[in-house]
Amino acid sequence: MISGGGGRSSSTSSTSSWAPTTWVSASGKRIQREMMELNNDPPRDCSAGPKGDNLYHWIATIIGTPGTPYQGGIFFLDIIFPTDYPFKPPQVIFKTRIYHCNVDPDGHVSMGILKDGWSPALTITKVLLAVRSILTNPDPYNAVVPGIAHLYLGDRAKHDDIAAECTVRFAK
Amino acid sequence: MVNEEQKRCSPRKQKKPLTESNVENSNTLFSPRFKTAAALAGWDEEALLLASLVVEDTPDRDSRTKKRFVLNSKSPHTNSRRKRRVQRSPHSIPVAVLNLDDEETPKKESGKKKKEKKTSGNEVTQGSKVEGSELKEKGSDDSSSNSALPCIDKLRDELSCAICLEICFEPSTTPCGHSFCRKCLRSAADKCGKKCPKCRQLISNGRSCTVNTVLWNTIQLLFPQEVEARKAASASKVRHTSAASNIIPEAAFYNNLRNQSTERASGASSRGMSTRRNNMTIEDEDAAASVRRFRREIDGQSRGSRVVHVHNNSRNGTSSTVRARTRRGITSQDEDAALAQRLQREEFMQAFRGTSQEQQSSARANVRAMALRMRDRRI
Repeated sequence: MISGGGGRSSSTSSTSSWAPTTWVSASGKRIQREMMELNNDPPRDCSAGPKGDNLYHWIATIIGTPGTPYQGGIFFLDIIFPTDYPFKPPQVIFKTRIYHCNVDPDGHVSMGILKDGWSPALTITKVLLAVRSILTNPDPYNAVVPGIAHLYLGDRAKHDDIAAECTVRFAK
Repeated sequence: MVNEEQKRCSPRKQKKPLTESNVENSNTLFSPRFKTAAALAGWDEEALLLASLVVEDTPDRDSRTKKRFVLNSKSPHTNSRRKRRVQRSPHSIPVAVLNLDDEETPKKESGKKKKEKKTSGNEVTQGSKVEGSELKEKGSDDSSSNSALPCIDKLRDELSCAICLEICFEPSTTPCGHSFCRKCLRSAADKCGKKCPKCRQLISNGRSCTVNTVLWNTIQLLFPQEVEARKAASASKVRHTSAASNIIPEAAFYNNLRNQSTERASGASSRGMSTRRNNMTIEDEDAAASVRRFRREIDGQSRGSRVVHVHNNSRNGTSSTVRARTRRGITSQDEDAALAQRLQREEFMQAFRGTSQEQQSSARANVRAMALRMRDRRI
């Protein structure tokens, strides 16, 4: 299962040709362990798990926190683990359309911890919590969609209206 | 006498119902945790019940004063296990001493009472001693498992590496005080920069990861199974990688041998026949095999067949020398063939002389030893 997952992920995500099988299994082990911990102690309003039999490709859901324009929406995300996972950040992609200054039109989430701020001590649970927190508190100063960030800073009410409308349209 | 007999029996009779009720309660008496601990230790339930029964039956495990108190007051035993353990455990071993005291100090006690004590006491002391110690053992086992269980999960969390999420294997501690597996920390330093994965403080030099000995020993003591599993996994990993890199080590070994032998043959072709004898060293498996084949055939058949075999083997020889020649690009085929034939003949002569038999066996043993050594090193 692990090696199968590794093999498939090598076709989907970038593979370093040197990576021997042992490393794949090390990352696979860690991912399995994270899966177990997620099942034992799931974070609030979040869920995640492998999409199919590929351990390196997960699907996650985040339920919009009440009190935000995203409330009531169910957002689906893809999580793609690199083969040298704990040392490289996973890719998190919104599959459900969302009106958010930190999520680009393709759904890629831009967050510090998913780039340079990544640390191998971070887990998917923490990543999901971070994503949930940017739904509550967007970061307009590190936005990937400047228009939305401008609106958020300039006319918060309008931004929230549009976001709520988008949530109703796409996430319900 | 009758009176005495009655008296002697009476305490037992009083005890009987008590013990029976205890037996009935024994299911509730043993906590499930204790049961599992007992099961781990290999005691079955029946043995446990029996042990508790016997212990209940022994009136002499407490100190004299206590016992007298029990006899006089006739108050029923409490069923609380803890209380009993507390009463019992400190006194379970010095029981015999107390009994001796009884005999030596016949004060105030009526004769009847003393006798009663002696009879009931002596027959049980040994048993109670054994059972008492056994029970104490169980008790301690129980309590230790009780005390270990609640915090072991926390310990596991505390002692696991944040990178691989498993129990730290050869933990290395950063200057900021966070511990990770040595390998994990090293790869983190290599791939993610020299920052602590937990607090992002700079690690002065991620290269010199020293194992935190105290922590490592503690982990080994607390989680021996995990550590063993990890060790086994890493060992198998090493084997896999070596297998992958060396194709198949045996094959590589024999390939190497063959190369050596061809080189030797080519060397012989240039230097002449006299060197060949020296060159037929212990490692030369191919030669040894051919010699063996020769000898078998010679033993079995007449001399007439010899020529055929020489011819046969000369062909083998040519092939090897051809191989050598193609590598070196010298000498003609005829020369090669002649040389090969000569070599084979000489080999044959050596084999025929019989002196080489020990050589061969030693050669075979040597080859085997070398192969074994190779395999050991690989593992």
